Amino acid sequence: MADKKKRKASTKKDAIEKIEVVFFKSDTCAFCPRAEEVVRETIEDFGSDAFTLKVINVSENPESAEEFGIFALPTVMIGGMSVTGIPEPDMLMKMVLGVKVLSKKKEGSK
Amino acid sequence: MSDHEIDRVKTGIPGLDELIEGGFPRGDTILIAGKAGTGKSILATQFIYKGATEYDEPGVFVTLEEPPHLIKRNMMRFGMDLEKLVNEKRISIVDLSPSKEVTPVTIGEYPSFDLSGLEAIILNHIKKLNAKRVVLDTLSIMAYKFKSRDILREEFFKLAATITRTGCTLLLTSEIPADDHGLGVFDIEAFLASGVIVLYNEKISDTSRSRSIEVLKLRGSKHSSRIHSMRITDEGIRVWPGEISPGT
Repeated sequence: MADKKKRKASTKKDAIEKIEVVFFKSDTCAFCPRAEEVVRETIEDFGSDAFTLKVINVSENPESAEEFGIFALPTVMIGGMSVTGIPEPDMLMKMVLGVKVLSKKKEGSK
Repeated sequence: MSDHEIDRVKTGIPGLDELIEGGFPRGDTILIAGKAGTGKSILATQFIYKGATEYDEPGVFVTLEEPPHLIKRNMMRFGMDLEKLVNEKRISIVDLSPSKEVTPVTIGEYPSFDLSGLEAIILNHIKKLNAKRVVLDTLSIMAYKFKSRDILREEFFKLAATITRTGCTLLLTSEIPADDHGLGVFDIEAFLASGVIVLYNEKISDTSRSRSIEVLKLRGSKHSSRIHSMRITDEGIRVWPGEISPGT
């Protein structure tokens, strides 16, 4: 019983710590392949275990782009912030750190 | 119809068709320019509403500025029930306004992007409704959303071409900044469109203003070269073709 409780708690912690990176691309966007490379490489450098990468192809799934109001591509969205165009790894790292700081603040205030 | 006659789309604005040989040429891009408060959004929304209700032409209204609930509320005072048309799938209102809560905050922009997302969103709605009319309200807001104006200029041409290739007639609205003599913030608005209509709300005395409308260009059409009176009535915008604006 205690084990079960412990497992449950650690799963919840993992879910909190994993940062979701959403990458919006399209079939016709010329800059998207390079941007996707940059995103994947940055995630690898940071330690891919800490992230979940969600790739949304707007050509196949325009509803998602509409839901989030994303109309310029490529766009990377991390925790309520976004960058448009081929991002610099530094910028992505700043966003990731921003999300980490925010989540720590939230945990601290609980 | 003879081979030389252009298929025309009724504007749904009483009096306007008479100034432009019966309507906008089908499949063209038309720019509606004017300063703040001149009635651009009302005219564009009326084009979509009347298209669906009187001419059996479904329409897509893409709002980049005003949230849909305010557009619906404001049009109700002219007796135009947009909500009903949305429910009946005769029009769709695409909400890309900044008021959406889930829209992320843009913290960085690199000059390596296109508007293929916007294109996919609009094409999806055109396909779903088999739309014949599209409105993009307003182009000007893009100047505040993105820094890379050169990219935007090029992308607007692509976007307009892609939309009109589906057979839709496209209306773009553009806000002319105060004290500006051009047609919008991008300086290319006039080139984007084969037709340009300018709305005015000029001060004619210390206590009154006068609304008017001018067809600045409309390729393939003999159009009036005068500035005509226009009013926002209880039933929406109305143009008086025989009445020349007192403000000019």
